[in-house]
Amino acid sequence: MRVLLDGLLRNRKALVGAIILVLVLLAAIAAPLLTQYDPSARVGRPHQPPSWNHLMGTTRIGQDVFARLLYGARTSLAVGFGAGLLITAVGTALGIIAGYRGGKTDEVISFLTNMVLVVPNLPLLLVLAAFIGQASPFVIALILGLTSWAWGARVTRAETLSLKQKDFVKAAEMIGEPQWRIMTFEIFPNLISIVGINFIGSVIFAIITEATLEFLGLGDPRAISWGTMLYNAQKASALSVGAWWEILIPCFALALLGLGMSLLNFAIDEVANPRLRTGNWRDRWILLARSGEGRL
Amino acid sequence: MNHPLLSVKNLTIDYIGDRKDFRAVDDVSFDIAPGEVFGLAGESGCGKSTIAFAISRLHKPPALIRRQSKILLNGRDVLDLTPQALAAFRWREVAMVFQSAMNSLNPVSRIGDQFHDVLMSHTTMTKAQARERAAEMLRLVDISPDRLRDYPHQFSGGMRQRIVIAICMALDPKLVIMDEPTTALDVVVQREILQRINDLRRTFGFSVLFITHDLGLMVQFCDRIGIMLAGRLVEENAAEAIFQTPGHDYTKKLWSSFPSLHGGALL
Amino acid sequence: MAFLFRRLGFYLAAFVAAATINFFLPRLMPGDPVQIMFSSAGAELPPESLQSLKLTFGFVDGPLWQQYITYLGSIFTGDLGRSIKYFPAPVTAVLGQALVWTVGLMGIATVISFTIGSLLGVLAAWRRGSAFDVIVSVGAIFATSVPAVVTSLIVVFVFGFTLGWFPSGYAADPRLDPAFSLQYIGSVLYHGFLPMVTLCAVLTGGFAVTMRNNMINLLGEDYVVMGRAKGLSDHHVMIWYAARNALLPTVSSLAIAIGTILGGSLVTEVVFNYPGLGNILYQAILARDYPVIQGQLLIMTATMLIANFIVDVSYVLLDPRLKGAL
Repeated sequence: MRVLLDGLLRNRKALVGAIILVLVLLAAIAAPLLTQYDPSARVGRPHQPPSWNHLMGTTRIGQDVFARLLYGARTSLAVGFGAGLLITAVGTALGIIAGYRGGKTDEVISFLTNMVLVVPNLPLLLVLAAFIGQASPFVIALILGLTSWAWGARVTRAETLSLKQKDFVKAAEMIGEPQWRIMTFEIFPNLISIVGINFIGSVIFAIITEATLEFLGLGDPRAISWGTMLYNAQKASALSVGAWWEILIPCFALALLGLGMSLLNFAIDEVANPRLRTGNWRDRWILLARSGEGRL
Repeated sequence: MNHPLLSVKNLTIDYIGDRKDFRAVDDVSFDIAPGEVFGLAGESGCGKSTIAFAISRLHKPPALIRRQSKILLNGRDVLDLTPQALAAFRWREVAMVFQSAMNSLNPVSRIGDQFHDVLMSHTTMTKAQARERAAEMLRLVDISPDRLRDYPHQFSGGMRQRIVIAICMALDPKLVIMDEPTTALDVVVQREILQRINDLRRTFGFSVLFITHDLGLMVQFCDRIGIMLAGRLVEENAAEAIFQTPGHDYTKKLWSSFPSLHGGALL
Repeated sequence: MAFLFRRLGFYLAAFVAAATINFFLPRLMPGDPVQIMFSSAGAELPPESLQSLKLTFGFVDGPLWQQYITYLGSIFTGDLGRSIKYFPAPVTAVLGQALVWTVGLMGIATVISFTIGSLLGVLAAWRRGSAFDVIVSVGAIFATSVPAVVTSLIVVFVFGFTLGWFPSGYAADPRLDPAFSLQYIGSVLYHGFLPMVTLCAVLTGGFAVTMRNNMINLLGEDYVVMGRAKGLSDHHVMIWYAARNALLPTVSSLAIAIGTILGGSLVTEVVFNYPGLGNILYQAILARDYPVIQGQLLIMTATMLIANFIVDVSYVLLDPRLKGAL
């Protein structure tokens, strides 16, 4: 754990990713301080281009895009992290149990996991959301959490299988520690980098999928989120009438947040898997080789 | 030894780290005469494989061979070879048997192809000639030439290592490096492989650089032995002398870690 | 052979699972399931049509298991009911035509992006730490982190609306009759270009990262080092020793990626107003055309399973250790 944190602190990708995430987080928290407008109220004339009064212009029904963006960040982050947590919790628990218990338990969980993996995710979510009707962001987070754990479960199971053979687990078994204790206190802490990658990957997935579902018209159009901003803009044909700000601004916000999160994910991957790391030694190596101090 | 085949001089290799470097090989010098079997012994991590890799110039960053180092093969410094000359040098002059018998053949390509690629890139043989040569090499290690169309996974570990040895013989090299060639194999197969190498050596006259941590095995197989400790060559002598009158404390310790019966029975 | 048969059995089970979700979902919702599914149709359809539609979805008088059997029966006889929006067109016909466009778009984009992505990944791993590697890695991070919907919207804005280089709708010029003519095919290619490029942009990065990581993980393997020690050319070792082996885990990760590809393709179609499944589905969602929404899950699942099976077969063909399995 300490090695992981230490590695992350010195990783450039992690730094940039963290800065982006913190900026979005601050913008979301400080939304009422940064804008005077109510995000759902009609506060200007329709489709005003960006100006001093409306920094990012207005929507077709005259809402302030900047205000919607700030308040929408709250939804995107909440759904992303909420669903991400749920996905990771379910996936990790199932993976550890299947890997550690083995036998029939493993067979059942693995079968279920493989099944979920081959049923296409988005179409399944579309059907679920369609029957639920205009799904609130909270409901979207919930169904995402319950349908998207399979990848995490599979990866966690594979890693648990190899941990199970390690001496410290065998030792704990000899002492007669109960299974749940071994799973929580012996196995889980050693999976921390996989859980981290799974968590951040799930957050990215949840943010993207929430936006996609809402864009496709399955969300609650009154909710304030980046996905509904896209949905409303698309419905208002914002692009063909030239109101690019209404559609491109949430686009860039989503891209930026996605980028920040992926940078974090790649960084954890590099720290956890030393083979993928490209450390400072490379610069030193090149310097030495160039100056004729050595060769290969 | 007037004209050594291989002459390693002041070989120093670092692994460049983020802040500090790790010296894996520290000012090592030794010679190998034509037809001689020279052994390098030492515990794992002492730098012996790093030397083996350097002779074929297989290292990649972060390894760095320091500038005072020289690796002379027939008087020519391997470290000065241009990329083309290096490609021609590899396998034709120095061939290599790797540690893991199970993993040194390309799992997705046929045995025949793994002979062919080396023959086609080093010689002007036609396909038919290459096939004939591959068959001949396989016969040397008692594997039926019909099996050229098989894949590595269809052979046992011992057979795979014999196939690697056969591939080594394909270009009639002057030096064969064996980096723990029998560690992954059981004792009976181990003995059979070493016997085979010895026979081939008598026939073709190549030299061998034999690397292992098993001193007992080494004493019966090598003419001379070098003992390595933490990157340095601490003792170098004829095999018998290493066994009977070890000079360095570390060599004595290595011997005392063997059951006495083992050492005696082998000779 | 046994291996592939086992996979086929598993796929059948997965398909039935998807059908089961379809069956239970309306029944789990609060309220009358018939009301939920056909509310928008009630007033417009003649009673006998509505009756046959109910029969297709298993709304018969009888216990649940009987309803379930009825429903599975209609699915396996290829009856997915009729669209409410396009009544009386059967769901299979509505979706079938769209499926052709989707599979074409998705299939070609997958092949292109898999090839380009894998090549980039191989070269980046082989020249680890070089400027090329940095560019590919950073580019891939960008490409994989931007949602497909965002990429599509930006592409359509820049090339469709602002520059006007490409059309931003339809699979072909609507004034042309579908025919096997140069003009028609040219129009299809012209209209398909932007969605195709977008989908490739979304997918290539992911394949590049996967291939790069797989390559890096096996560059230290003895057989790769032995390939170099043999004095073979750099290209030969890179392709036939390293990349050829790294391809195996990359192909199996392709199976997992198919779901993402499908999702990306649906979204791209909506943005580009491309007449594939995604667009039909978008219209169906707006109109709450439940038979179509349910039908797409089955058709998408089937597509996904077939794609998975193709991946299974190619894996078996690529790995000589599994030769016996075919």
